[in-house]
Amino acid sequence: MKIKTKLIILLGLIFFIQGCTKNGFEGPSIENLYADFEINEPLKIINTNPSFSNNEVVSFHCEFNKPVQWKISIQGLTTTATREINDFSNRIDSNIIFWSGGPSQFPFFIEEDCAIELTFENEIDTLRDTITIVSAKTYENGVWLEDFEDGFPENGLIYYNSLGGGMTFSIENDSALLGNSYFKMGGRVNWDWPLGNIDLPINISTTSQSSDNLYINIGILSDLLDVHTGQFINILISEETNTPFNDNLENNASDLFESTMEVYKMKIPVDWQGWQLKSFRYSDFEPISPNNLDINYSMNPSDIKAIRISCQACPSSSGNPICPENFDKDVRTDIDHIIFTLNSNLLDQ
Amino acid sequence: MKRSLIHTVVFFIMFLSVINLCAQVNEKIWFDGLFRSYFARDAIDKSKIDDTISANNTSNGYNILDLNTHINPIDDIEVFAQLRIRNSFGSFFGSGTEINVRQLRAKGVINNKVRFSIGDLFLKQSKFTLYNYDEELSGYENDLLKHYRDIIHYENFYRENRWRSQGIQTDFSFEFDRFIRSIDFDLFVTRPRGSSQINESTYSSDLLLSGGSIISKINKSLTLSGNYINLFEVASSGTRNISLRNPIHDMLLTHNFSNDKNHFEQTLQTGFSKRYWLHTELENNLEDSISNYTEGMYFELENKFIKKDSTLFLKVGYRYVDPNFRSAGAQSRRLDYISKSNTIYPNYTNMSITRPTSIFDLASDEQLYNQNLSSILMGFNPIYSNILPYGDATPNRTGVYMDAKYYNKNKLFISKLNAAFFNEVIGQGTLEKRNFLLFKGAAKINFHRLLNWDKELSIHVSSESELTRRGGDSISSLNLYSHHINTSINAEIAKKFFLQASCKQLNANGNEFLTERNNYGNITYFTSTHIDQKDYLFSFGMLYKFRDNVYANLHYNWWGMKFTDQIYSDYKYNRLLLILSVEL
Repeated sequence: MKIKTKLIILLGLIFFIQGCTKNGFEGPSIENLYADFEINEPLKIINTNPSFSNNEVVSFHCEFNKPVQWKISIQGLTTTATREINDFSNRIDSNIIFWSGGPSQFPFFIEEDCAIELTFENEIDTLRDTITIVSAKTYENGVWLEDFEDGFPENGLIYYNSLGGGMTFSIENDSALLGNSYFKMGGRVNWDWPLGNIDLPINISTTSQSSDNLYINIGILSDLLDVHTGQFINILISEETNTPFNDNLENNASDLFESTMEVYKMKIPVDWQGWQLKSFRYSDFEPISPNNLDINYSMNPSDIKAIRISCQACPSSSGNPICPENFDKDVRTDIDHIIFTLNSNLLDQ
Repeated sequence: MKRSLIHTVVFFIMFLSVINLCAQVNEKIWFDGLFRSYFARDAIDKSKIDDTISANNTSNGYNILDLNTHINPIDDIEVFAQLRIRNSFGSFFGSGTEINVRQLRAKGVINNKVRFSIGDLFLKQSKFTLYNYDEELSGYENDLLKHYRDIIHYENFYRENRWRSQGIQTDFSFEFDRFIRSIDFDLFVTRPRGSSQINESTYSSDLLLSGGSIISKINKSLTLSGNYINLFEVASSGTRNISLRNPIHDMLLTHNFSNDKNHFEQTLQTGFSKRYWLHTELENNLEDSISNYTEGMYFELENKFIKKDSTLFLKVGYRYVDPNFRSAGAQSRRLDYISKSNTIYPNYTNMSITRPTSIFDLASDEQLYNQNLSSILMGFNPIYSNILPYGDATPNRTGVYMDAKYYNKNKLFISKLNAAFFNEVIGQGTLEKRNFLLFKGAAKINFHRLLNWDKELSIHVSSESELTRRGGDSISSLNLYSHHINTSINAEIAKKFFLQASCKQLNANGNEFLTERNNYGNITYFTSTHIDQKDYLFSFGMLYKFRDNVYANLHYNWWGMKFTDQIYSDYKYNRLLLILSVEL
């Protein structure tokens, strides 16, 4: 073959291959990312008169021309309870985006009118609508609940340092988180950290979920005014299976929380004002004695036997000024509505 | 641990120095190495920057001695250790003095047939499997800044486009008397990254790199070679059940022939890659699965013409690299803009904002450079390299290229030319594809040869332009132009004593979209960026060459950046630099 022919074939081959390109494109569409924002389909609310107590939900649908950071705000016009739902997408899909009646935080919604607002980050557009709650959501749907509505449980134990001043370890009815009653827990022990605790037996042996799917929810009220800055609550959960709940009647507390037992803990600093509902995944609890190799720490919710909620605070007195800023202040860590839920926390249920 | 290592090293130094007395007799131990003294004083030009936070000037420097010990206990084995003693300026009586083992390797020949190396290896295969491409703006470096570049390469173990890794390598060959002439084999296994603790209960896996090459000389003019490489993680060595796999297969056919005056070479290279993450030991006895799977091929046809008197070299070729071609060994970049930051004045202005990297930083800051292989495409700055940020292995490119070098017979005039025209294979964020035009040229005129002077007088000029365009609507269209010009003059005013001056400037303007990728290399976002900046570096200095590789260099740099209509403020700095380098 002559060199000229080879050259022509070579050039032809190159031009042929040069045309080998692909249709479509990599990554998200630039046009979508940088085009002017437009609402392709307006906000639709499915079920504007929800009965949350019957497990009804309110669904939302809306479509835009590009992915944006959007936020749906729901506000109760009577209670000022709020709920926010946000995401980054170009579509609010009613099959995925719905509201089951819970707030983002206390207070809870009641039977009331609610204002709905859909806003977009860096865009001036705001879509508004209203709904009316026919019946409010109930919060008893858990695998274990203690709401103190029937007084303190008969088999539960209360212990507090009786030498302290103004100790309040009792059921009260003045301003509960939910229902009428709550457990008031506080006082002043100037010389030591622990103030007292309550121990409650638990039996959820039929639960098959893993520790990742079990949530411990608890309402906690700190002081309404001058908050004691060094106060906190410790939650201990025991999976000790070979010891009775309260065999030793002399120690004023359950026997299931010894340092040699399979016990898990969570520390909650209480540094806000008013009620808050706190939720924790059980798998986030830590072993109480991690260096004790004799204890087999293998979290299993069905083995949970008891819960201890203890009130502690940084002491402060003229003779023991560890936290001088709390001198002359009472500790207050009241609790209500302790509920174990599966798969999600109480407010997301 | 570190202290015991230092003690061990010191012991060995003393022990070996005793042996050396014998070695001088039997020549079983010999030494070489490098000494460098480096001092830099940097100053900020506050007339150009509103910055009362940064120090007016700073100085730093060091002395290092890299002592290479070669021990030949028997004829066929050599043990090599490079020990570094470093003393930072301001350190006295051992405080601030470091002693490190910088390299350790044993190599030898088994039965005069099989070669092996264990320890620190410098590996290279084909341009698409394992190749450490040169950093941007380094192709036509001038003589004055060459010392900076040499330090960067030396400190980061950049040798002949090889990646440094630790492992074992062997090579051997067979010769035949019929059908084919010879077959050479080269095999290696290395561990670029060991398992390490990420947090209290999570450990990353070992990252291994293994590969092999077979080169067969079929006859006098035909050579066929194949390469295979695989970068992979060993899931069992960590606590994660997700592990990387990135195998690449490569084939190269070379045909060459010559006549009395010229040499011709044609090469055809092709191959393909796969990359995915393997999920193992899944819950509920689920079978192993893979995710983020990509595969892509490449193809290159290249013709070389070389005049045997070495006056002309010409290369013309065509290359196609698929958008999904992924090769960690060839696409890992030297410059790492994402995880590294400038050493000199990293922040500026009273707002203490991060100072954008300039051509001075690229030319002088060894800390900006990377020594590790990356399993995903690393970020790059389109101002400095937008056409081939990952060298010839840059994915999503198809086009033609040309490379030429011309030397005047008495080396009076030396010139280089490099041009390329590429397109994207697939659009990014839009159906429209980018078009790229690259043009680089350099010339050096040796006036002393023209004037028959003994002492050198030369001028070097280079120009590098990159043009990127994409059509389409007003949102996705782009147009970015960058131009880098580099001039220098070398004048030997006394024997071995040179005065040097250079000017390096880069202008860039236009707009581009910066690509953001997730941990698996998938594109997640395009950040629109507008560019209009001028980047400059002026230098003046003197050089005394005691002999080749032994020199003292003193020079002064004026450098900075100017921005137009951008969020950054202009800046300007100066530097006085002294280097004494002695290759032992």
